[in-house]
Amino acid sequence: MDCLIGIVGKDFVLTAADTSAARSITVMKSTEDKSRDLNKHIVMLYSGEPGDTVHFAEYIQRNIRFYEIKNGIELTPKAAATFTRKELATSLRSRKPYSVNLLIAGYDITTLSSHLYWIDYLGSSVSVPFAAHGYGAYYTLSLLDRYHRSDISLDEAKILIKKCIDELKTRFIINLANFKIKVADKDGIREIEI
Amino acid sequence: MTTRLEQPKGGFNFDNYQRNVFLEQKGITLPKMTKTGTTIVGLIYKDGVCLGADTRATAGPIVADKNCEKIHYLAPNIHCCGAGTAADTEYTTALISSQLELHRLTTGRKSRVATALIMLKQMLFRYQGHIGAALVLGGYDINGPCLYTIHPHGSTDKLPYVTMGSGSLAAMSVFESRWRKDLERQEAIDLVKDAIESGIFNDLGSGSNVDVTVIEKDKVDVYRNYAKPNERGQKEQSYKFNRGTTAILKESIKDLVIITEGIEEMDIS
Amino acid sequence: MSIMEYNGGSVVAMVGKNCVAIASDKRLGVQLMTVSTEFPKIFPATDKSFIGLPGLATDIQTLSERFRFKINMYKLGEEREIEPRTLAHMVSSTLYERRFGPYFVEPIIAGLDKHNQPFICGMDLIGCINFAKDFVVGGTSGESLFGICESLWEPDLEPEDLFEVISQSMLNAVDRDCLSGWGAIVHVITPEKVITRTLKARMD
Repeated sequence: MDCLIGIVGKDFVLTAADTSAARSITVMKSTEDKSRDLNKHIVMLYSGEPGDTVHFAEYIQRNIRFYEIKNGIELTPKAAATFTRKELATSLRSRKPYSVNLLIAGYDITTLSSHLYWIDYLGSSVSVPFAAHGYGAYYTLSLLDRYHRSDISLDEAKILIKKCIDELKTRFIINLANFKIKVADKDGIREIEI
Repeated sequence: MTTRLEQPKGGFNFDNYQRNVFLEQKGITLPKMTKTGTTIVGLIYKDGVCLGADTRATAGPIVADKNCEKIHYLAPNIHCCGAGTAADTEYTTALISSQLELHRLTTGRKSRVATALIMLKQMLFRYQGHIGAALVLGGYDINGPCLYTIHPHGSTDKLPYVTMGSGSLAAMSVFESRWRKDLERQEAIDLVKDAIESGIFNDLGSGSNVDVTVIEKDKVDVYRNYAKPNERGQKEQSYKFNRGTTAILKESIKDLVIITEGIEEMDIS
Repeated sequence: MSIMEYNGGSVVAMVGKNCVAIASDKRLGVQLMTVSTEFPKIFPATDKSFIGLPGLATDIQTLSERFRFKINMYKLGEEREIEPRTLAHMVSSTLYERRFGPYFVEPIIAGLDKHNQPFICGMDLIGCINFAKDFVVGGTSGESLFGICESLWEPDLEPEDLFEVISQSMLNAVDRDCLSGWGAIVHVITPEKVITRTLKARMD
């Protein structure tokens, strides 16, 4: 039931994740952060099987941090996505695979460009200008396709995300009360309000 | 973090098995493998063995290959027709062929058909029918002409004339009516050809052309496409498009040949 | 639902006169939802050969990485580029090794060998090679492609004519398939050059 959205702009990536943690038909918590910062410029959003998600996200987060400490270089979004994809694809061949869908959003400080990777639990990874996971994707992808431009500004992207969230509030049967919005750009990752 | 990609050590790898079971539990069906619907036959005649096969490979109801090779080489004096899962017949015969070659190099003797038979049946039995190879094994060794069939579970028969595959019934009816002891070479080839053709025309899993291999003492003749009863007619018209029909968004050309103009004068300063 | 239809996608390769062409669509979907229209399915193996991998996206990516590794190891070990025919057997063995737990792809290989002779072949998911002399197809539009290639292809097409034939075959086949399309890419390999073109296609 989780919903993740990501938009790539000219020099930033904007992401949104709902904040409700549900079990069966009950909302247990409404302030859950479904993202982890992989480094200064990359944020990873996750959804899927509760338990698997946080465990896998933190496993990736710490391994990427370890790699960076060991080698003294910051991973690019592409490198982080490639590594994460491989871990998921390998996990799929194990006795109990991780059931986690991801969006990896980040700003590449080497090429000064922003990237968004859509990764599903099977380990399919693809770089996209905009993406969504979960049931929310069925409602929001059409809006994103209609209004997204490659040179979209942050303010416009915020309006677009707002449109998507409003659409979910009106059409989606499940009440997704709040969304956590994050931006990754050259200055790092920060949370914003819309 | 760095995982090493290991070079394979040989043998089957079951890494994906768990995952595929997991995917199957999600209601996903496994895709079709290429099968050889197939009519394959073999018979013993006066001076040797004659093997025959059709050339159609299928994936479900689709013809995957219109002219594939189903008579595989095992040893200079032994060939083997394969029916069933195409990849299995291909790799089983290739594996046994390589083992026979090594065996010849260590013993310095000609391979015997019975050796190949035992190796094949033991391998297929070990895999309990999961390797879907149905074979007709024929060859000429010190015991004269030999002909066997091997089923996917590893059972074997030794008979003077045999057929296998989905067209085996059609082919066998031809053999049953016309096979007799000590056929002449050309009679044998013709009978094999007719048996395969009855499979081609009466069995949907078999089709296209007839391949024949004749094995005699110190002589093997491979007749690829011995008969072509289903040749495609010449097209009367060309559907060639005018150049520029397809709209292109982007083009990039990578030159493989470096062109240098003239001969550069040697620098002698 | 078949697992080959989960992500969608199609690849076709054809032989011409001293040239070969390989084409694929660009869609990546999750069943009926399109996720990306820039998903590569054809990967360069050497200067003059390509591997096309229609099938399950995760396996396309895993295998493209494995093949890149194996091709590089071959180049280091043998000190020469791998021949397309050798490449085909390498791909085939990699798939047959997993006979009882396969990767869900139907690889298609196209290239020119060291004498610039055209080579194409197709494979099923456990590595049964189909050495075709005309064309090979794979993916969700495979059946439509078989039909149209059977009528449009003819022997000895020049590179530019081959480009038109393979492009029109691809575009028209994927128009009858919901799971493929959304753009197409064509590589034409000749002894002198490799021409890569992105086609204008229907985006519905």
